[in-house]
Amino acid sequence: MLAKLIKHETRATSRIFIPLYGALLILTVFTKLVMAIGAPDFFSEAVSNNKVAEIILGISFTLYFVLVVAICVMTLVMIIQRFYKNLFTDEGYLMFSLPVKTWELVCSKLVVGLIWSAVCTIMIFLTFFIFSLGNFSMMELTQAIRSAYSMFYLQTGMELNFFIFEMIIFLLVETVASILMIYAAIAIGQLFNQHRIVAAFGAYIVITIALQIIMSIFMTVFAIGNLENSVLNGSDAITTINWLLNSSTVLNVVMGVGFYYTTLTIMKKRLNLE
Amino acid sequence: MTILSTKNLTKSYGKKTALSQINLEISRGRIIGLLGPNGSGKSTFIKIAAGLLVPTAGEIIIDGQPPGVDTKAKVSYLSERTYLNDWMRVSEIIAFFEDFYADFNRIKAENMLKDLNINPDDRLKTMSKGTKEKVQLILVMSRQAELYLLDEPIGGVDPAARDYILNTIITNYKEEASVIISTHLIADVEQILDDIIFINQGELALSSSVDEIRETHNKSVDGLFREVFKC
Repeated sequence: MLAKLIKHETRATSRIFIPLYGALLILTVFTKLVMAIGAPDFFSEAVSNNKVAEIILGISFTLYFVLVVAICVMTLVMIIQRFYKNLFTDEGYLMFSLPVKTWELVCSKLVVGLIWSAVCTIMIFLTFFIFSLGNFSMMELTQAIRSAYSMFYLQTGMELNFFIFEMIIFLLVETVASILMIYAAIAIGQLFNQHRIVAAFGAYIVITIALQIIMSIFMTVFAIGNLENSVLNGSDAITTINWLLNSSTVLNVVMGVGFYYTTLTIMKKRLNLE
Repeated sequence: MTILSTKNLTKSYGKKTALSQINLEISRGRIIGLLGPNGSGKSTFIKIAAGLLVPTAGEIIIDGQPPGVDTKAKVSYLSERTYLNDWMRVSEIIAFFEDFYADFNRIKAENMLKDLNINPDDRLKTMSKGTKEKVQLILVMSRQAELYLLDEPIGGVDPAARDYILNTIITNYKEEASVIISTHLIADVEQILDDIIFINQGELALSSSVDEIRETHNKSVDGLFREVFKC
């Protein structure tokens, strides 16, 4: 049933995102073409003699910027709105009478939210790649990457791949935890009889403040001492950064699990649709 | 055979008690009218049976199990709200129901849509409230469920459609299935009911068969309702 929920969730969200990403790609390719034909030196200091191309590029880069911001905002809005509207307003009457487990409802929203967050990041990188086509050679790029790897190893005594892997895990866990935090806040809002949206915002703010306090205590007790000892140089610095990164990951896992069970418990035991 | 039974079923929202100590046995193969004034606890009862609310105390058993994934697969629930996504087409909602409910009968749904002149390619956004309610009822009645829970199924539709819907209800369920209809439009549903349950302010006021009422009280259900709930 989880797969079916994910399928329908994807269907419900892609009708908004596919046109947005389509527009982004078309705009990117169009901009790139105008740049290649009319103003190849757009990014350099040289004064171009093609005023028309410059104006078109000015407009399309503005549009591009607006669209990227819109897509990022939309992704966040979608994560909030699909969870709130589909589960806790009238639509919830349908979703909660389906023969599916509560955790499947939560996870289907979470998985699809994660997918769209990933798509957002990948698509932005893709547009950067399209913009820079022709401005670099593949050989130079591979050389640059290779030297970055050996530099990193030389300075830190650690494989860059491993560090990137840790970084990706951290980002993934961090994203999951922040989505679950939104879910938990919405679920807490449902405990109130009135003004549930306001209550959800309130819950979110309270959780944020509580986490800030916990984090600063955590930093004071553990991290600062280490940072002072290893005055950011060479292998010592990387050990510290590494340690910070991994302990943040662990902390996010703990928080994520907490938010997940809070959400689930409220949905199971205290569900009361308006 | 019992399809639904409750033991001291109680639900309170904070200090307010919505249902208090309800003891009921509902047999298979019956059409039951759940009747009571506004705010008497009808919807709360149905929501608990549908698994949308958790009782505060007591228990409810549907076909041998408390409400959960297994009972939801056998219970077809029509909520008082229009719960369908506005942006969907009727055909997409049919696909949705077909995906999640193993007992959903697509042909039945399509036939009923045709009877009520609803185009499956229409989006719900463009429909009137009454038409949306019809679509919802068609979806719910197109399942071969063990128990139907219909919360105010005829409240928002015109009298002609009302007759069609009531007719659909009595002709569409399996012999061993039961239908619980909550409504305050008693005169309209009286003709199809086998049993009635009166609830008032969260308490069970009367549970009886319609024949019994006619014999012992010498009254129609509507008449008795007006007497019991006289303001």
